[in-house]
Order: sequence, then C-alpha cells, then structure tokens
Amino acid sequence: MNETWPIELLAAAMVLGTPLIFATVGEILAERSGILNLGVQGTMLVGAVSAFWATFNTGSLLFGLLMGIVAGALISIIHAFLSVTLRVSQIVAGLALTLFGTGLASFLGRAGDDPLVGNPSAAVFEPILEGGLADLPVVGPLIFGHDIIVYLAWLVAGLASYYMFRTKAGLSLRAVGEDPASAEAAGVNVSRIRYAHVMIGGALSGVGGAYYVLSVRLVPTWQDAPIGAAGWIAIALVILASWRPWRAVFAAYLFGAAARLGLTLQTLGEPWNNVPSTLLATIPFVLAIVAMIVFASGERARHLGAPAALGIPYFREQR
Amino acid sequence: MTQRRFIVEPRGLASIRLSIAVPVLSVLAALVVGGIFLALTGENAIEVYGEMIDAAFGSSRAISETLITTAPLILTGLAAAVAFKMLVWNIGGEGQLLFGAIFASGVAIWLGDGTSSAIAIPVVIMASAVGGAFWASIAAIPKVYLGTNEIITTLMLNFIALNIMNYLIFGSNSPWRDPESPQFPQGRPIPESASIPEFWNRLDYGIFIAIAIALLAYFLIYKTRWGFELRIVGDSADTARYAGIGVSKKILGVFLLSGAFAGLAGGLFVAGPVGGLDPRSLDLGLGFTGIIVAALARLNPIAVIPVAFLMAALINAGPALQSIGVPSSTVTMLQGAILIFAVAGEFFIANRIRRPERTDAAPDKTEAAA
Amino acid sequence: MTKTEARLAIELRGVDKTFYGVHANENVDFQLEAGEVHALLGENGAGKSTLCSILAGLYRPDSGEMLLNGEPTVFRTPKEALAAGVGMVYQHFRLVPNLTVAENLALGHPDLGQRLNQKELHNTAAELGERYGLPVDPAARVWQLSVGQQQRVEILKLLYRDVKVLILDEPTAVLTPQEAEQLFKTMRQMASEGRSVIFVSHKLHEVKQVSDRVTVLRGGKNVGGVDTAEAEPADLARMMVGRDLVLPTREEAEGFGKAVLTVTDLMVDDARGLEAVRGISLKIRSGEVVGIAGVSGNGQRELAYGITGLRPPTGGKVELDGEDVTDMNVLAHINKGIAYVPQSRLGLGLAPGLTTEDNLALKAYRRAPYSKGVRLVASSFKEKGAEMIERYDVRGVQPGLPIRLLSGGNLQKALVGREVELEPKVLILRSPTRGLDVGATEAVRNIVLAERKRGVGVLLISEDLDELLALSDRLLVVYEGQIVGDLQTNEATAERLGLLMAGQTEAST
Repeated sequence: MNETWPIELLAAAMVLGTPLIFATVGEILAERSGILNLGVQGTMLVGAVSAFWATFNTGSLLFGLLMGIVAGALISIIHAFLSVTLRVSQIVAGLALTLFGTGLASFLGRAGDDPLVGNPSAAVFEPILEGGLADLPVVGPLIFGHDIIVYLAWLVAGLASYYMFRTKAGLSLRAVGEDPASAEAAGVNVSRIRYAHVMIGGALSGVGGAYYVLSVRLVPTWQDAPIGAAGWIAIALVILASWRPWRAVFAAYLFGAAARLGLTLQTLGEPWNNVPSTLLATIPFVLAIVAMIVFASGERARHLGAPAALGIPYFREQR
Repeated sequence: MTQRRFIVEPRGLASIRLSIAVPVLSVLAALVVGGIFLALTGENAIEVYGEMIDAAFGSSRAISETLITTAPLILTGLAAAVAFKMLVWNIGGEGQLLFGAIFASGVAIWLGDGTSSAIAIPVVIMASAVGGAFWASIAAIPKVYLGTNEIITTLMLNFIALNIMNYLIFGSNSPWRDPESPQFPQGRPIPESASIPEFWNRLDYGIFIAIAIALLAYFLIYKTRWGFELRIVGDSADTARYAGIGVSKKILGVFLLSGAFAGLAGGLFVAGPVGGLDPRSLDLGLGFTGIIVAALARLNPIAVIPVAFLMAALINAGPALQSIGVPSSTVTMLQGAILIFAVAGEFFIANRIRRPERTDAAPDKTEAAA
Repeated sequence: MTKTEARLAIELRGVDKTFYGVHANENVDFQLEAGEVHALLGENGAGKSTLCSILAGLYRPDSGEMLLNGEPTVFRTPKEALAAGVGMVYQHFRLVPNLTVAENLALGHPDLGQRLNQKELHNTAAELGERYGLPVDPAARVWQLSVGQQQRVEILKLLYRDVKVLILDEPTAVLTPQEAEQLFKTMRQMASEGRSVIFVSHKLHEVKQVSDRVTVLRGGKNVGGVDTAEAEPADLARMMVGRDLVLPTREEAEGFGKAVLTVTDLMVDDARGLEAVRGISLKIRSGEVVGIAGVSGNGQRELAYGITGLRPPTGGKVELDGEDVTDMNVLAHINKGIAYVPQSRLGLGLAPGLTTEDNLALKAYRRAPYSKGVRLVASSFKEKGAEMIERYDVRGVQPGLPIRLLSGGNLQKALVGREVELEPKVLILRSPTRGLDVGATEAVRNIVLAERKRGVGVLLISEDLDELLALSDRLLVVYEGQIVGDLQTNEATAERLGLLMAGQTEAST
C-alpha cells in the first residue's frame, strides 16, 4: 500500500505541469498583445520533433533545446503574419497552424530512410541533485529533486510577470492588448509588439514540447503523439490563470495532477484500481470544462482580465 | 512629399471568379509546400501526388470510396459553416460526430432485427442528429446562459467523447460491444434493417441524404427569415438585439443545429460503411477536416459539396501513401497547409491591392465611428 | 507684431488630401504662430479634422508641404509628430480604459527608463495636474473617469511630452459650459508659456471668446484667416457656411394630443450593473418634441435603453399609449410602435456588413411584403429598398455592397428613414445630427419636424444645445440619472441649461 502517494502525485504533477507552464506563459504573452493563437498544440509538436532530432543527432541537450526554441518561433511567424499583417480570422488561422504543425511533426518523425519514430532520445534531462537534499522527506522530491527545466519554468514565469507589470515594455504590451489604437497614438508600434510576442510565445511552446521528449521523467522516445493534448489544455489554462504568469504555474501543476491521478489511483488498490483507464483519461478535460464554467463565465469573465482587444484584428488608420 | 508603395483597400463585394480562384490557388500552393517537404526528405513529390490521385480517382472503386468519405464530410463541413457564420466557434465536430455514432448505433441495436427498414433507418438517422445536438448542448448551454467561451469547452468535449467511445468498446462490456468477439474488442454490427442500402460498390444512399441536407441548409440560411436573422447576428449581435431578435435563442439554436449536423455525419457512418460503433473507423478527424471544408467553401453550404469531395479524395489517399513508404501524415500536413493558404486568401478576397493614384486615399474611419 | 516678425510654429502650403473621391482638403495654406490660440472654424465635413490629422502625423497629405519652425518636415507617424512636439487630443479619446491614469501618461514616453516607478509617475501626474488646473487621480483607471476628466488626462499626456503645438478637436462637445470655461483658461495658460494651441470648433461664441486668430474652412478650402478681435460673428458665419443658412426650426404648435409615452420613476442600470437612471419620470404628448439635455454619461443611453426594452428597467413603469410595456422584450416594443435612432449608427442601429437594402428591412422583415410565411421575398427587399433610398435621399448606395461604405450623413438618413417608415407612435433619437454635414443635418431635422406634425411623440436626447433649442417644445435636463430641470423652450437659455447640466440647481445660484 502506498502511503506516500500524495507527495509522489505532487512531484509528478510538477513534472507534468512544467511543459504546460512554458506553453501557457508563452500564450499569455501572445494574448496580452491581443493575438489569440490556437496553434499552440501544433507549435509544441514542431518544437518537440525539432528538439528531439537535434539532440538525437548531436547528443547535446542544449542544442536540442535551442532547436525547439527556434522551430517554435519560426512556425509562429505564420500565425503572426496571418493575424497581424493579413488580419484574417485568428481562430481559423490558429487551427490551421495546429493542423499543419501536427502533420509536419508526424511527417518529420517518420520520414527518411532512418526515421526518428520509435527511437529513445540520445540524451535526457535528469534531476540535478543526486541524493543529499533530494533525499529529504517531502521537500526532497518536491523542491530539490527536479531537473533543470522544472526550475527554469519558475524563472520564466517570474521574469514574464516582472516584465509585464513592472517595465515600460510590458506596459506597452498590455496597452496593445487592451486598446491598440490608443497605444499607436501614444507612439507604440503595435505590429512589432504583436509579432514579437507571438514569436516569443511560439518559442516557449517549443520548449514545452521539447521537454516531453527529452525528460527522463516523461517518455523520452519519439512517437506519434508525444504531448497528448497539452497545447489545447494550455489555451484553457491561460484563461484560468487570468492571463497572469504566476497563476499559470499553479494551474499547470493542478492539471499535471489531474493527468497523473489515473495512474495514482491504480496504485491504491481496491476499489480505486477498478475505475476504467479510459474514463480516468477524461479527468483533465472534465476539469477544464468545469473550471471554465465556474470561473470563466459571464459576470466573472468581465473581471477576469482578458485583454480587451483579444482576437480582434487591428486595422491601423491608413495614411 | 512622400508616396506610399501600395495601398490596401477593402473590396466591397468579391467576384465569383475570385471566390473560386482563391481556394483553388490555396490547394495548389499547399501542394507546392508539401512538395518541398517531401523533396527535403528524399521523396519524389510528383510520384507521391500521382499515387494520391490514383488512390482517390484511379478506378471505379476508388471514386466510390471517395464518395463514401464525402458524405460525412459534407455534414461536418456544414456543421462548421453554419456555426462559424454566426461566429459560434464550434470546434467540437469530432466529439459531436462520435456521439451521433453512439446514439445511432445504440438505437439501432435496441431496435433489433424485427423493425422494418422504412422505420429503422430514419429513426437511427434522427437519433444521430439528437446525439450530436446533445453533445453540443454541453458547451452551448453554458455559452448562452453563462457566457462561457465555447472554443475551449467544445475542444475538451472532443477528447471526452473519444474516451467515452473507447470505454464503451475497449473498456467495458457495454451493449455497443460485439458479443461474438470477446477476445478482440470491436463494435457490435447493427442489424441489416437499419443499414442504408448500397448501390455502387460500397457506396450507399447516404451521399444523397448529405447533399439534400446541404441544399436545405442553403435554403435555410439565404431564403428564410430564420436565416436572415442568423446573418444579422453573425454581422453584429448588438444590432440584432436592437432589431428585436432573440440573440441567445439564436445562438443556442444554431449551436445545436451545428451539433446535429456533425452527429448526422456519425450516423451516416454507422448506418453505412462502418456498420457499428467502431473506434478505429470513426476516429478519422473528420470533425476538424470539416472546418477546412467550411473555410475553403467560404461558409457557403452549396460550395461545401464539391470541396468536401476534394477533401475526401485527399483523406483517402493517405493509407495508399503508406504502401509506398511515405508517411500518411503527409495528408494532415497538406490539409493544414491548404487551410493556412485558404485563410490567407481571405485577405485577398476581402481587399484589393494597387498602386496609389492621384485621387487616392484610405476610407475615413472617423465617419463610420461618429 | 506682424506676421513676418513672429516666428511661425507651423506652416502648411498647398496641402491636399482626398478620401475615396471626396476632396477633404483642397490646396490649403495655414499659418500658426508660436504662443497663440488659433481657432479652426468650419461646419461638419469642412475638412477641419482631416487637416489636424495631417498636422498630427496621422494622415499624410497627397501633396503640399509642412514647415515646422521654418524647416520642411514630414511626419510619417503620430510618433514622429509627438517627438517633434506636435500632439492632438482627438474627439474619440485615445486612452486605454483598463490602465490607470499614470500608466496612460507613461505609455510610449521616450524619456522614461524600462523600470517603471509607480510613485514617481504618480507624483509627476499630480504635479502636472496642479500646474495646469487639470487635477486627476493618478491611480484611477480611465474607465472610471467622467468624460471631462478623461479629456484632462489626454491634455496632461501631451503636456507630459512637452508638446509645443497642441491640437484640440472639438473639445467642448463633451463639456458643460462651466467645464469649457476651465478649458479655455488652461488653453490661455499654455499659450502664455509659448506653446501654440489649435482649437477646432464649429461654435462661433467659443471661438470669439478664447482665440487670437481664426481660420475658416469650407468645403475643404481655406476661405480666410482673421484676427479674432477684428472678426464679426456674422462675417465668420457667412464664411463658414457660404450662404445665409437657417437650419429647420419648429413653429409653435397649436396644441398637443394625449400622452403617448408616460415614464414613471424609471430605474435602469448601466452595463456594469451600477444605477444609471435613478427615478426619471416624463410624459410626451402626441405631436410634441421633448428634448433632454445633458453632458454624456449622465444616464441618457440607459434611459433610451430602458424605454425601448433594450435593457429591462430595475424599477418604475413605461407606458405606451396607456399600455404598460415596462417588462416586454424589444420585439414587443417595436411592434407596439416605439422607434429608436441610437447614437451608434454602425454597430447598433445598422449592421455594417449587410447591404443597405437588408438594413432598411431590419425591423420590418417579419411582415409582408418582406416575408411570406418562413420565406423571404427577395424582390420586396429590392423594391422597398429603392423606394426608401429615394425618399430619404440616401446617396452613394451600391447594390450588393455593405452599408458601412456610406458616409455618415447617408448612414443617418437611412437609419432615421427606416425608423420613420415604421410609422411609430413614439420616436426616440440620440444625438441624431452629431458629426453630420449641413445637408444631412437639414434632412434629419426636417424628418423630425415632419414626424412631429404627423402626431408622433418625439424624445430628443442630445448634447447639442442648438439642436435642442431649435426642435424641442419642452426641455428637460438630466444630471446623474435624474431630471433636474423642466423648462418651456422659450424660457431656456444656454446659461441656464449649462448650470443645470453641471448639477447646479437654480435655487443654489
């Protein structure tokens, strides 16, 4: 019988939640500039396959991570171009990007004479501390026993928060997402900020995707569906986090726990392990819907802090 | 004195020529992009595309198979078109299709062998519409009464529906499961009386049902009062409210109709080629492809028909690719690329680009704002 | 000081700008001296806003040149204009509603470092506010402020950037007469510091009061510039309008019929759930025009919404022709004979993306001849549409194209015409001639007077005192959601109305 299951669940939740943090914070930055990017799922996959390929061929995790960042940023340019320059429907553009990204990632994973699919990663992120602090009860596994990317996620959330609320550039970002016409009149370059933040969002999503295939605690093998529905969940998390990076960390860990719950229940013996796994798999999705309905509806939605211009194409007064 | 390089100017009404040219060019552009990726991985793009055309149109069997996939695709295309026209972002077509299949197969099994086809088939088809509408209502009702964003809820519902279907077949001994095959879980075949008759290879009359529904949808949207109200709400919900239109009711109605269309797609599968609740044959991503169909058809129900045929050809070519060693995800990639170009093409349909002349400038936005 | 000795802050030579075939500015020369308040006078549609937008870098002229302190300059963006010291307060404010006053002041400011110091910002805002007589709360979010306060923030924003040329586009449209006085004081102070102020207006008395020089625009051309002290109002009016124009005004009525609209103790909330209409009662008789004056934001919109069913009242009663319609839905109101011309043309009164014909059928489509059963009769849309377009002189309509391509005046004629075609018992209008040129204003006023003659009860809610005085039989004044004044039109003066609009009851003065 497993008495330490809450700690194990939480520790696993933090690992599972880490890629969600990257994707969610990335999407928060994009949406704060007013652009809704539903292409997160596709971007994460493209980041994943690029990072995997890079590490597989060079053995370097750093290089893999960099490739994930670059690939994510590059593919997001498509969405930025469609949404900011062509000003078409952001919802359809994002769905198109996800479709393309999903197909592309799967294609690249299986293409060529020696496809990536089925291969384990050449290198993996492992916990940085062996023994010592990591062996302490409770705080050991929860705080000290993680790999570097988990800590990086905290750093990214913190930096994003500071950037958004305490810097001039962050103020410009928020203004662009609230009222681009007024921001432009004040001298802010709306297009440039939107492009930049969509690409940063893409880069962070790329990191999130990379983590799935490069972390020893997850499944560091290339398969066809390496990230599950993480990209989609991230989009929901943005709303549940009220577009604030620190809240995204908690929301991500919550969903990490929801995703892990099924496995945990199975270790608890009767009667928990009789619940069918297919139904357990629905937990994160049901949680998302319930959370949306309870926290993100009508009255509450107004105080939520959604950027006022989110999803609305900006037509600059022509000169 | 400075001169601009070119001017972007809103076009009032798009010509028919342009409305057709842009989607066609989108497909061609996507094929080029796909070709580039194929070449990068060492494949011969021409050969691959040739194989795809062959698989879709190369024989009487191929064409009938393509038409088989066209029928449900028309319906998921309609589901997306009708909803998007009113800015209801129902991206839950996948889940609604599956629930249509669940309801259809459930009712068919329950009716059993004894009922005549004249009753069984319509009842099963209607059950699928109800199933789809039911699944849509889980997202529709919070949207209408609580203002909950439907993009996320419909999306999440897709995954839940998929898991429920898997549970019914793989995770339990439900009535949907084939009792004759206890070792190898699969869907129980529906009674013969509830199956739509075939008339050409495996193609059944379901294709005509789909086309009829598309024509009905066109009539509904463009020729009736209800459709007029739909178009007003889709243009400006505030104006619709001001004109006395019950916007909430409208949104609910359209959302459920959209779900019903997607459910019907599932119903046609169950009463047609799949013959039961079979996860492997149902989890094809047709709900998402329906969005592409709707976008290429520019939300016009009649245009959905030929576009669905084209997309069905693309989908059917997928398995054939595997036999020549090319990943079937090429198809998904091409679908995504087509949608990207189609969406970009909207810009050229809605705007005109030209060189500035003497009497030129931009529209006075302050007028419209006043 | 002659013109050649004074340094010209800005000079425009031969500036030309055309929008979609409308020649907004035609070969305009313009001179602005340093340290002066210069009024730009003209009717709506004369080209004043366009000219100012060019000065502020929002638009680029098709031809002509601009000299800043004698140097030829081109502004490609508003940012460049601001950097050069030229800034504009637009009619529709460019403030970000969800950010605080301090944040709006800091936005895009080139001299601030990356690290935002909230305390410093607040102090600066408070200082500036005091110096120029424009006090604001730096921590308040812009959406919480009144329109007058928002305007102050806009001006402070420009002063914070140390602009040398301030352009104010119709600033008094949203102010009470008393607030306008304060604004004029601020303008003179800025001028005394060596800054230049361009003051756009179509109100002669204001121009006379505060400006040093006046330039008159008419039909896109500069028809003359004079020193204000030497200018006769009659001359200016003639220059503005080009003819002796008398806008349609009502004649005294014989008498009025029975009450068609009775509102009792009406209470309506605003979009945020706060009380906006706090117990308003009024009565309109058949053939009577009742005007409601007031600065925007005092409950006018909610009053109209409450009467027309667009927002269910939280208290009180609305009776149409004796029938209690308070809790009925919008459709019932329409069917029982209430017509409403809202302030927002596109986006409320009209659907921007639909055709003109569809828009003209927006409320009548449920009945014959537009529909037969569930089906629409397309030919009726065309025929009735053509009829109405001609009857109400809606110009520029291209069949099959969206209505948003029409100019403001034509949009309004279509909107008012459509409402009037419904043969309502009660017609409610909000700011019906705002932003319209003379021709369209004439047309709309004539329609209102025609309805009055027909026995319709008209409720005219407006911020334009001239319009209210010309058309209303009786005048009410609304302040903070309540009626604070009820006058016969011939007893009403701009001064009296101004006091009431600012919340000063007669007894306290």
